[in-house]
Amino acid sequence: MGKKTCWAIIIATIVINVVMLQWTVEAFLGRDYEILLTYNVISLVSAGIALFAYLQWRKVEYKKQ
Amino acid sequence: MTCKKKLGRNQKDTNADMINLVDNVNRDDDLKYNRRAFLKTAVGTSVALGVATIPFSVKAMLGVEKDYERVEIAKLTDLPEGDSVVFNYPTEKDPAILVHTVNGDLKAYNSACTHLMCPVFYEKEQDVLLCPCHAGYFDVNSGHPTAGPPQRELPLIEIEVDNGIVYAVGRQYRHG
Repeated sequence: MGKKTCWAIIIATIVINVVMLQWTVEAFLGRDYEILLTYNVISLVSAGIALFAYLQWRKVEYKKQ
Repeated sequence: MTCKKKLGRNQKDTNADMINLVDNVNRDDDLKYNRRAFLKTAVGTSVALGVATIPFSVKAMLGVEKDYERVEIAKLTDLPEGDSVVFNYPTEKDPAILVHTVNGDLKAYNSACTHLMCPVFYEKEQDVLLCPCHAGYFDVNSGHPTAGPPQRELPLIEIEVDNGIVYAVGRQYRHG
């Protein structure tokens, strides 16, 4: 996985997580607890993907020439 | 003889050798605010946003609502048609409104607008519940939003009438 791909993935996960946080708050206030859990899982998976992409990027970025 | 056009060695913008080495006065910032630091901050932001959803799920799992008490709201004789009364239910922190509509129905809802929690009022002339903060309108018969920014219905307070006294006995968040 290239560096640009890692950048794209990380930016995409930020967008996803902002939307998920907004929807989570809405679901919480509306007492939609089942859908809240779905948003929560999506958000955590997205955060995990961001972390994985970062580790990949770091491996490439700091590789000795 | 020296060239007069040439700037002195220690003057600003000189091209003399070994002088421009100190031009980068922002070198500390260059070390802190660069491409790599930006990406690391972006990853931190993404993870923080993801983790920020956890407390809502935890609170949702812990906060299962208990049984509701039966609380007296008002006497029917004190509440003519087209009038309303405010009360708190199920706790003192939950403002609510009981409406005796112009059609003769009794309806009760939590009165905090589902947009930004302003109190809603009964508009007798239009037979609607109105949030004056951002002009949010709710159907008095269902509690659902009909116009303006609110997206969710008002929580419904279940009521009972016993010997001419109106009691609150429960609450439904999503209804209708």
